[in-house]
Amino acid sequence: MLRLLQQELRSRRNGIIGWAIGLSLLPAIYVAMYPQFQDSLAGMQDILDMEIYKAMGMSFGTFEDWLASTVINLVPLILAIYAVLDATGTLAGEEDNGKLELILALPIKRWQIVTVKAIAHAIALFLILLIVDIVTTIVFLGIESQVETSLTAWDVFWSLLYLWPIVMAFGMISLFLGTFAPSRRVAALIATVVVIVSYFGNNLSSQISTLESIKPLFLYNYLHATATLWVDGPQVNDVLVSLGVAMAVFLLAVVFFQRRDITVGAWPWQRGKIPADAVRTA
Amino acid sequence: MTDYIIETKGLSVYYGRHRGILDVDLCVETGEVFGFLGPNGAGKTTTQRVLLDIIRPTAGEAHMLGLDCQKEGVVARDRVGYLPGELSLYDNMKARQFFKMYHSLQKNNSDPKYWQTLADRIDLDTSRKIREYSRGNKQKVGVVMAFMNKPELLILDEPTTGLDPLVQQTVMELVREANQAGATVFFSSHILPEVHAVCDRVGIIREGKLVATERVEDMTRQHFKRVRFNFANMPPDDAFSKDGVIELARDEDGITLEVHHHLDVVMETAASYGIIDIETIPVSLEEIFLAYYGRGNGGSNA
Repeated sequence: MLRLLQQELRSRRNGIIGWAIGLSLLPAIYVAMYPQFQDSLAGMQDILDMEIYKAMGMSFGTFEDWLASTVINLVPLILAIYAVLDATGTLAGEEDNGKLELILALPIKRWQIVTVKAIAHAIALFLILLIVDIVTTIVFLGIESQVETSLTAWDVFWSLLYLWPIVMAFGMISLFLGTFAPSRRVAALIATVVVIVSYFGNNLSSQISTLESIKPLFLYNYLHATATLWVDGPQVNDVLVSLGVAMAVFLLAVVFFQRRDITVGAWPWQRGKIPADAVRTA
Repeated sequence: MTDYIIETKGLSVYYGRHRGILDVDLCVETGEVFGFLGPNGAGKTTTQRVLLDIIRPTAGEAHMLGLDCQKEGVVARDRVGYLPGELSLYDNMKARQFFKMYHSLQKNNSDPKYWQTLADRIDLDTSRKIREYSRGNKQKVGVVMAFMNKPELLILDEPTTGLDPLVQQTVMELVREANQAGATVFFSSHILPEVHAVCDRVGIIREGKLVATERVEDMTRQHFKRVRFNFANMPPDDAFSKDGVIELARDEDGITLEVHHHLDVVMETAASYGIIDIETIPVSLEEIFLAYYGRGNGGSNA
């Protein structure tokens, strides 16, 4: 199994490096440019009170607001794209392109295959976040003296690692969809809808009172992308919910992968039955 | 009592309403080379995938090495070498990395360097990345992968696809050697001369049903006869217009017939025109196979 895990990680090496470098640019730029904008941002509050920005959970009054609305808000959304692509690719994608058949022909239990792939995916997400985190923290240290903030480098550092549970949850949802949907394309489409609905649904339900009751259904509800994150600290219960969702859908992925007919490309309920009019051998 | 290394009973797979295989009763004896033949879409790959628990049967059961393919599949697959028909490899790996990984995932890994011996035998440079290989070289990787752990049972889906004739010959030698060392080989192929050359028995599957299972020599000998008669007096055009008899050619000296039934009647009729010479023309497995493909012959298992 270790060799398989090594291969899974090796196959993700370029993706991890590429995504880490690319994603690092977002917080690095947002953090680096804040000192130039901090004065003018204070005068933009009327614009930022517009519904569209509230729907995106954005507020830029202080550096903490800025960091939360840009980095904490957007990094998991963008990293969720990688989570969807990687997690649907590792099972559904390999089923579509035929690689999975090679592994399934080996004396390996199916739950072991799903577990190794889930672990590799989790490590990949963590490594990407870690690199983004380190880059962002270094940039913050560079501008710290120019910014009015009570945040320390450690606050910036842990607040990005805090994003791992929610992207893990999206990743495991995508992994599960790969064992459930007939193809990678369908799994990725559904997973993308889940991510987008979670993001906008959470923000809109904060603005619309009639949607308040369904707010807990959105995963983004358990991510505090506001300045209170550094005041109250990460809410353990919310982290546990994200991790709990991740674990629950991972277990569903194990169950459904165990039952799946590989290479058939069908929904679970499309499992064949012998038609009554089939001409059978006597 | 015959020892079967592969045994299926009433094995059926339906994809929704689409037929995969239906009521396949297949028996492969331990130690034989069994050719599994059929047109595209007949159900060959479906049958192999059920044996490897890649697809689950809709009905029926399948056993391999005395083990249930679904309930005890992990244990069974440790003793199996598999080459899929549509080979898709890890392109970013070097071949030797792939072999080492594949070897480590087998519990039965007694000879860790045998893959190198095989690679040298079929002239495969294992230092290169798989994505740099031609189609033929990728197929060589698949061949090494199937044979490298010296399995008791080899399941090969068109093993010589994309290979040059020399390497095809080497692969068939590997099949013979593995068989002589005690392995059973279950393979599908469209290259009938090689099936004819290495197989002990063949099974023909058509439209999801196993229509025939026979020893190769019995199939070529008994299925139909092709006979050439030279006559003293040429028979009229309708002399051999009988059920099960086809006149293939006629020239000034004689007639060539393909006889499926009523050989005794044909001989009696021919004798009435004065037979000068008679010759039996060998029938190839390909011609027999095409007869099964074309006419939908029913048959029974041996």
